[in-house]
Amino acid sequence: MIPHPQLFFGAILLGAAALVAWAFWMLPQWSRPGIYFSVTVLPEFRKTEEARRLLKKYRLHAMVYVAIGFGAILAGAFPAFWFLLIIGIVLLAFGPLFAFLAARKGMLPHAAPGATVREAALEPRVEHLSGRWIAQIGPFAILAGTGAYLYFRWDAIPARFPVHWGINGQPDEWSVRTPLGVCTPLLLAAIIVFGISVISYVLRHYARALPAPGSRPITQDFRTKVAIFLLIIEFLLTTVSSLVALLPLLGNLPLLIVTIATFPMILVLIAWLAKGRVPYEGGHASLTGPGLSIGDGTLDKYWKLGIFYFNPDDAALFVERRFGLGYTVNFAHGAAWLLLGLLLAVPIAVALLLVHEH
Amino acid sequence: MTEPRIIRIDLASPQPVYEQIVNGLRAMLVAGRFSRGEQLPTVRQLAIDLGVHHNTVAESYRVLAEEGWLDLRRGRGAVVLDRREPKPNEETKQWFVRRLEELVAKAITDGVPRPAIADRMTALAKRIVSGERGEKT
Repeated sequence: MIPHPQLFFGAILLGAAALVAWAFWMLPQWSRPGIYFSVTVLPEFRKTEEARRLLKKYRLHAMVYVAIGFGAILAGAFPAFWFLLIIGIVLLAFGPLFAFLAARKGMLPHAAPGATVREAALEPRVEHLSGRWIAQIGPFAILAGTGAYLYFRWDAIPARFPVHWGINGQPDEWSVRTPLGVCTPLLLAAIIVFGISVISYVLRHYARALPAPGSRPITQDFRTKVAIFLLIIEFLLTTVSSLVALLPLLGNLPLLIVTIATFPMILVLIAWLAKGRVPYEGGHASLTGPGLSIGDGTLDKYWKLGIFYFNPDDAALFVERRFGLGYTVNFAHGAAWLLLGLLLAVPIAVALLLVHEH
Repeated sequence: MTEPRIIRIDLASPQPVYEQIVNGLRAMLVAGRFSRGEQLPTVRQLAIDLGVHHNTVAESYRVLAEEGWLDLRRGRGAVVLDRREPKPNEETKQWFVRRLEELVAKAITDGVPRPAIADRMTALAKRIVSGERGEKT
């Protein structure tokens, strides 16, 4: 049993708050050098007084929203104020977004015309998923291994076991020893990991290869970094899910330790990913050559609110996000909507399954 | 070190993008920078890398296939052919001379120095002749 469970929950919440605050604080600096608050600019614009002023304003607004959001979530832990939990989540999801939109509005008068020159290598590429199939099946192997262990230790599993603990550290939800009751965490993880693998595959084949900026020889493609990031997330997710499935045998201490250890790991991973979009030290903003140095290979007019990319003349299904790390879909393509629908169907299906189970 | 084979287009150019791709690729094919049987990027890959529509690249490949430079087969992508040069007719020859003169006149009008044009044309002539002899450039 965990001593002082409130402390554990507090540490997890504080860790999450710090992670979210840090991410929103850093976000504007993680965009490509030719992009600032989703607007195309000359790379040197970032060093101007106006750029610093807008950044300061954005950070102040975003941090206020994050602080209020987490405060509400914390208060929502008390049953009488459960509604504050929803308000807190909404504030966290949309607050920094409002701060971003306000900063973007201030940026529009400083927009520079995006580069219209495009280059492409004429060598056919064979696209592989990161680590090839051996790494890709790794997360599924973890789940299968856990499933096999549970099967062989089936008799050691109690007929009824706790799966959720309240803030006072006392169990408040229980499951029973049935194949579904024991293996649900593994099944859910398998569905989510499969969804992430699909994203990795589509990124490899339907996103533009933009090199990491800088004057070093360009070998690192941002897509590769994102694919490695997703693969590591798959491993983390399957490890945590396996520990959830092993709760009736191991108790909740290993799970809590791993969950808390996951925060700094995610922090390091995000920082590593962000480095793929900012210039190397001593580097410059050029993508691949002269005439291509401004922007990110897309034009401002195709970005709605600086967030949604809509360009029917661009074959790419995924493009790099302008605000935030990673990729967003090209909403002009039906296939992108279909993919988005499928990806949204996964969490909805998971939620329905959980509701059905309870 | 071999120069990377890169195609460059300008979306702001008044010239249609598919024509820019055709011209860029054709220039490399004429210069012998692709060998027979070599595969070009797929329509999907090139369209995504250039940020243009699939149909634009597909149209460019089709034009080059009609000219005899490429073989387009389902599942194999675009493969470079050993193109046999067709016999030019009088009309084609006249068209070429007229276009060349027009191009030179435009370059002079735009301020390109005459000696630079002459140097470039001499270098081009040498490359064309060596290409005729089957020498690699």
